[in-house]
Amino acid sequence: MIRKMTFRTQAPAIQLPEQLAFDAPEKLRLGNGVPVYLLEGGTEEIVRLELLFLAGSYHQHKPLVTYLAANLLKAGTEERSSVEISEVLDFYGTFLQVEAQKDIVSVSLLVLTKNLEYVLALLQDIIQTPSYPGSELEILLKNKKHQHIINSGKVSYLARLHFAEQLFGPEHPYGYRLRKGDFDQVGREDLLAYHRQWIHPGNLVVIASGRFPSEMMEELESHFGGASWKAPNESGDEPAFAVPLQKADPLFIYRKDALQSAIRVGKRIIERADEDYIRLAITNALLGGFFGSRLMKNIRQEKGYTYGIHSALVSMVREGYFFVSTQVGTEVCKAALEEIYLEIRRLRTEPATAAELNTLKNYLSGNFLRSFDGPFARAERFREMLVFGLKPVHYDLFLKELHEITPETIMETAHKHLHEESMIEVVAGNR
Amino acid sequence: MVDFDKYVLSNGLRVIVHRDSSTPLAAVNVLYDVGARDEDPQRTGFAHLFEHLMFEGSVHIPDFDTKLQDAGGENNAFTSNDLTNYYDTLPAQNLETAFWLESDRMLELAFSEEKLAVQKNVVIEEFRQSYLNQPYGDVWMLLRPLAYQQHPYMWPTIGKDISHIRDASLEEVKHFFRKFYHPGNAILTVTGNVKADEVFRLTEKWFGDIPGGEPYVRSLPQEPVQTSARRLAVERDVPFDQIFMAFPCYGRGEDEFYAADLLSDILSNGSSSRLVQRLVKGRRMFSEVNAYLTGNLDRGLFIVTGKLHEDTGMKDAEQAFQEELEALRKEKIGERELQKVKNKAEASHVYSEANVLTKAVNLAYYELMGDAGLLNRQPELYSREEADHLQETANEMFKPECLSVLEYHSSKTSP
Repeated sequence: MIRKMTFRTQAPAIQLPEQLAFDAPEKLRLGNGVPVYLLEGGTEEIVRLELLFLAGSYHQHKPLVTYLAANLLKAGTEERSSVEISEVLDFYGTFLQVEAQKDIVSVSLLVLTKNLEYVLALLQDIIQTPSYPGSELEILLKNKKHQHIINSGKVSYLARLHFAEQLFGPEHPYGYRLRKGDFDQVGREDLLAYHRQWIHPGNLVVIASGRFPSEMMEELESHFGGASWKAPNESGDEPAFAVPLQKADPLFIYRKDALQSAIRVGKRIIERADEDYIRLAITNALLGGFFGSRLMKNIRQEKGYTYGIHSALVSMVREGYFFVSTQVGTEVCKAALEEIYLEIRRLRTEPATAAELNTLKNYLSGNFLRSFDGPFARAERFREMLVFGLKPVHYDLFLKELHEITPETIMETAHKHLHEESMIEVVAGNR
Repeated sequence: MVDFDKYVLSNGLRVIVHRDSSTPLAAVNVLYDVGARDEDPQRTGFAHLFEHLMFEGSVHIPDFDTKLQDAGGENNAFTSNDLTNYYDTLPAQNLETAFWLESDRMLELAFSEEKLAVQKNVVIEEFRQSYLNQPYGDVWMLLRPLAYQQHPYMWPTIGKDISHIRDASLEEVKHFFRKFYHPGNAILTVTGNVKADEVFRLTEKWFGDIPGGEPYVRSLPQEPVQTSARRLAVERDVPFDQIFMAFPCYGRGEDEFYAADLLSDILSNGSSSRLVQRLVKGRRMFSEVNAYLTGNLDRGLFIVTGKLHEDTGMKDAEQAFQEELEALRKEKIGERELQKVKNKAEASHVYSEANVLTKAVNLAYYELMGDAGLLNRQPELYSREEADHLQETANEMFKPECLSVLEYHSSKTSP
């Protein structure tokens, strides 16, 4: 047995970040009006160039069109075949990341600074003049359908899809649940139409981060600033959808052989720019936003029901939602659900202890620092600001509110926004 | 280039420091030289179960996570067949908190029956979540014992059988700790906004008085050379067939490792790669393909795998892969194609250095291989490879008698 050593019982002194030095980059413009933001820095000779289009699957007329139009940009152009494109991108060691989300389409190129000049013309080509070859479309549809079928055998996937549908309704693009048949309904002309309408300079923001070659702006100008690349004359219609007025009943999706059940509990919440949002984010963190959260402590660390449980706020441009997610043994599914509701209720009935609040504040302030570490992380935060129309001051405000928040404010916030009776519940598996 | 300083304590703990003043953070990584390969065959899954227990409080500090969170920190850990690795990131000014916490759990854990019971449950749920309740989740439970008949790589880190976890006793857990968790069996790396002198001072202060422990001498049964091909066919409730082909491959420290790694890139890294171009796009036989190395310290596996389209037969799938492997054995890879995969390797290396935590994890790993400086030699070790050597390596690796095939059949007639 080791003799206790007194110096080891004493925690070293700590100090936490009070302020964050984040200056939003200056808004530059290309000749055709496209905004450009440069976030220079980092230790390695790498540049990340993101072309962000401010429209996503919210705007599509058929399921999958945004996904396909974005992911098949690199599948061929009027000038280059799919093989040529992938040869060049691979030869220069690039990573091309394509995101097709609800509100945005983003194409990000990660490349060694020295190689940027060799791939920009190609990037311009695939963004501006994709030809969407039919054979490539067929292949992607078939493979993606495979993936969908495989995923449909996972309780977590089922719970996620059905949960979104329960929240927003089957007609709403945020709630639409993908089906096998959707893969047989899309044609090349759908992608061309989507591209014409939404992937154009009128919708584009350029965010570059990392270490730049000497003539960064000139390079961007020559590839993306030309007057010949134009927004369409008629701007796309901004669709509008209603969300359900009443909350959906609990949904149970039975899977006979499941060893675990996937649980999702949650509700629609306020938008990102709402004045309560930061307080709600802090409240959520206490519930399930980190390893030391109440849900994790109770359901994993004390009861051992699960490998992991967490809760989160998700923001879209027009809506937002809160959810708790976990996978638990089927035999403890009911018990786990009870504990989840108990913890949601406890948020508004039981003040955080001084120790709880201290851990929460300190962890979140450190996490805040981590989320701004390095040029690529900063670019991500900045993109978030752009998409949600936040002001740079928002981030200072986060630290200020974090600093000032009290157990009472947390309870009030939970009472207002996370009442357990307002929750929607989806379980996939067995119970 | 990752510059570093190294220092060895008298109890055997190695410490490596890299300064990166561009970040306000510090990363602290503690690697223990113990993995699933070091487990008793009757008590598999122990290294990983133990990783969980390392967060359940130590002799002076009841709650590791909370104390680190109090300092604005975050942590996690992973266990592989070769090693167990713990890491923390936190604001650099709070560096000492990580030393306080990591040294205390190296000194002695606060073991208890209750904590063991809960973490056994958590691990059993992890086992179910990742291996049992997932389509294709049990692949490695099948493939490992097929490809390894002697070496302990025959079981996955989660363990061979869930009962090994369920039956683990507190005494066994304590014994495991004493055997593997001591300074002589560990490597500490610190990166970020830190100074080497200060790190060395803190290391002496917090780790200096921990007893060195008995050196662990690893003597694992080595896998005999495979002399005939092996095959296992199973049927499962999954929508599509999948094929896995495994060949014994070079260990991480062997020269041929780099050639083998480049061969796997030729096959499947990026959409211009051979398997994607020829078999996913050209012949449309697979919905996805992959070729990769398990990258173990002892001899690992070279895996070629693909999910079959409905109209592709298992035999045809294997034949198509065989043709690609044969091509690597018979024909020299062209200059441009070779340069392409070298460029990819270089770029991946540079991208990995943009992150303070990745640098800490990598330095520790290469130090375990014998020299942290190997990290900086990686680009050169790839770039010096030649087409002839890749061809020789392919000939050595892809011998028909070295093959293990797992045929993973779908029980459904149509998905």
